[in-house]
Amino acid sequence: MSGTSTEYLLLLTAVTAGVTFLLRAMPFLFFGAGKRPPALVLSIGNVLSPAAIAMLVVYCFACYVQDRAPAEHMFGLAEIAAAAVVVALQIWKRNPLLSILAGTAAYMALVQNFIS
Amino acid sequence: MNQKPVLKQAFISSLPVLMGYTTMGFAAGVLLAAKSGVRLPAFWAFLTSATSISGALQFMLVDWIQKAQPMLDVVLLTVCLNIRYSMYGLSLIERFHGLPPAKKLYLIWTLTDETYALEVENKVPPGGDSILYCLTLAALNHFYWIAGVVSGALAGTALSFPTKGIDFAMTALFLVILTDQCRERKNRVYAAVGLLASTACALTVGAGRMLIPSMILMLSALIVFRKPLEKLESWKPGAGS
Repeated sequence: MSGTSTEYLLLLTAVTAGVTFLLRAMPFLFFGAGKRPPALVLSIGNVLSPAAIAMLVVYCFACYVQDRAPAEHMFGLAEIAAAAVVVALQIWKRNPLLSILAGTAAYMALVQNFIS
Repeated sequence: MNQKPVLKQAFISSLPVLMGYTTMGFAAGVLLAAKSGVRLPAFWAFLTSATSISGALQFMLVDWIQKAQPMLDVVLLTVCLNIRYSMYGLSLIERFHGLPPAKKLYLIWTLTDETYALEVENKVPPGGDSILYCLTLAALNHFYWIAGVVSGALAGTALSFPTKGIDFAMTALFLVILTDQCRERKNRVYAAVGLLASTACALTVGAGRMLIPSMILMLSALIVFRKPLEKLESWKPGAGS
């Protein structure tokens, strides 16, 4: 099934919306007033998020490495430079939109004009 | 009593979200139109944003469409991305208790980071209906998000500019979330676990197949090493090393 076929897109929409809704509904389904979830569930729920986001950052970079030969993209110079822009701006200004736009613009400028 | 002040306060409280959702949604919509290759991007932008209302997911969808990602991966990744939502309801169970099903379902369906924060803050005027306040907030924020994503998709379809590299927006979004999470020192420990587990998998099986093994490795590490990791949370470099 191609990713842009109507069947795939409908399935994708239903699955992502369904899973997201179930996650949101979980406390209301399982824990009435006064009943708390088990300690292990609470603790994993609290710590999984930073681990998962770190994994997704690694995944994004692994995809860049996989898509092109190292020499062709100057050993990830554009990715590293753009990522540095994002992180530095976010630490400094704490404005997600600014960090994302500036980092993406920097990356686009680099890959369209200077690298590959 | 007259509930007009409640509606007015809900609108005022939602204004920062208006700024955030329309702009962030716009970026996600442009990305969908520019990179996913779907026909009718505005239609899919509407359908996906209206049903899942989730920022990181909206960006991730483009990657999944490009790769025709298998549904098992989609399910597991959605859980990883949005697991935090399953914690939010805990503080709203009592307030939403006994509501008519339609209202309760809508409040749960629209429970995003920002809507949750505003509902917990609950700046309802004295004597006002707190549920009406929450419903209004939820509907406004829901609308802002859809409007942002759809207008982004329309703009992305209408404008033709060189889009090479625009998909870095997703990487940038994850970097922003990670940077903010790492302001809290305990999160750094768990971010490091994710970093190590996923780098190991990326190096051994490659980017295309790394996600499921990474998630399994990560979850096992988080469960098995729960106690030592909790100790690391309060570890001070320099104190003992």
